[in-house]
Amino acid sequence: MKTGFSVFLAVFVTIGASWCGLVLAPALQLGGAKQETILNGTDTYPLQPTGAATLGLQVYRANACAACHTEQACQTGVVCEISLTGLGVYQPADFKAFVRSLFVLPELASYTNAIGASINNWSGELPKPILITADKKIATEMADRLKAVGVKSEMNILATGPDIARGWGIRQSVAADYLYAQPVQLGSLRAGPDLSNIGVRVPDAGLLLKHLFAPGSVTKDSTMPAFRHLFEVRKIGSAPSPDALNLTGKFAPPTGYEVVPTTDAKYLAAYLQSLKANAPLVEAPFTP
Amino acid sequence: MSDENKSCPPPSGNEPEVTRSAAPMWIIVTTLVLLFLGGLYFDRHSGWFNQNVYAPYTSAKQLDAFQPRSGAAAARARGKAVYESVCGICHGPDGLGKLGQAPPLAGSEWVDAKGFNRLSHIPLMGLNGAIKVGGKEWTLSMAAMGAALPDDDLAAVLTYIRSSWGNKASPVTSDDIKKIRASLGPAKAMTSDELMALPE
Repeated sequence: MKTGFSVFLAVFVTIGASWCGLVLAPALQLGGAKQETILNGTDTYPLQPTGAATLGLQVYRANACAACHTEQACQTGVVCEISLTGLGVYQPADFKAFVRSLFVLPELASYTNAIGASINNWSGELPKPILITADKKIATEMADRLKAVGVKSEMNILATGPDIARGWGIRQSVAADYLYAQPVQLGSLRAGPDLSNIGVRVPDAGLLLKHLFAPGSVTKDSTMPAFRHLFEVRKIGSAPSPDALNLTGKFAPPTGYEVVPTTDAKYLAAYLQSLKANAPLVEAPFTP
Repeated sequence: MSDENKSCPPPSGNEPEVTRSAAPMWIIVTTLVLLFLGGLYFDRHSGWFNQNVYAPYTSAKQLDAFQPRSGAAAARARGKAVYESVCGICHGPDGLGKLGQAPPLAGSEWVDAKGFNRLSHIPLMGLNGAIKVGGKEWTLSMAAMGAALPDDDLAAVLTYIRSSWGNKASPVTSDDIKKIRASLGPAKAMTSDELMALPE
């Protein structure tokens, strides 16, 4: 084989390049990630999860929750929302006239209709969003114009996208959200809803446990399988357990029995409650 | 093996050999064009490997433009947050202080003063011994709580206490704090008299 060395070199470079791209570059980029401070605040994010939540991640993993649930909310855009907070010397009617006078500005031309529609039936209640645009320059221009005439406004930064519209999150998931996840449970199939922010959406552990035992009791027509092996149906002893699930109707256990979550179920609920991707961060800014 | 070799036809003398030949020009050109386009796309969308840049943001500059802040309002929010986590534990979230622990900041002649030089020295150096606030004598000691805060945070919190709860004093900038920090003597808690000896 005359070209043995060239073949070796070509293979080495090919594998080396993918190793650099897939292993080395991400390690250099995010390997040093640590807790950070939330935007305009002093709290650190993410918080170290509790012991129960850490153990719950392993229950989540063992029950293959990631087979049907993702833990990554996507964001496809970001918009600035100009919201009026004070009219200064203006009455709402004067203000409408002032806004209409801005319509001649060429840079606002494509927003004229939207702004006009937003104040048409407005009776003066504040705060009042008047312009939503992805163009930061237009928003700044509008805010400056308002400021110049003594009208107080706020510029809110809002994340947009299908996941945000579904209420699955306030912003997209970023690397910081997974700082303490070992291993990270990203998931790729969404047979069920995204769970990256479930701790905010469903803060009640009792409801989460009920959903795990009998999904239909919380969400009608849920396609999620019941995880009954995480619970114990037992005869009520001298007194009912304080942990017993509050089940009614066809989901209720037979009379004299109660449904009690095992420690695994409690850990899993603690883990789900710890999933809170709702802090504004430098890399995922929004106005809370 | 040797049997198989025997069954092979003898070499004919014109076996094809591996030779080197130039790659066709179109492949080279197409590759270069693709590389160029890839480079353009990378430049516009990669954020240059900045760990803070995620889609839909395409550069650190664009991300920075979308940080929610609006001058004074953001600084005030920051000041309030720092105050509540560092100062508010003793001085109270309402700035009224705590009897036997910390004097009030609301209406205090030290806080609501024309200049902020003396005030800035208190969190930077600490305070020991008797101090008169609002006609009342307090004998307590405060550690240099602000010494470890970044300049802009300390400026934000001083601005916050100077403009809250009825106080109406001028704002403090991080450059002011920087200057004062540079002029500090050795770390030692100051006394009320030492503070009074400083320019306002």
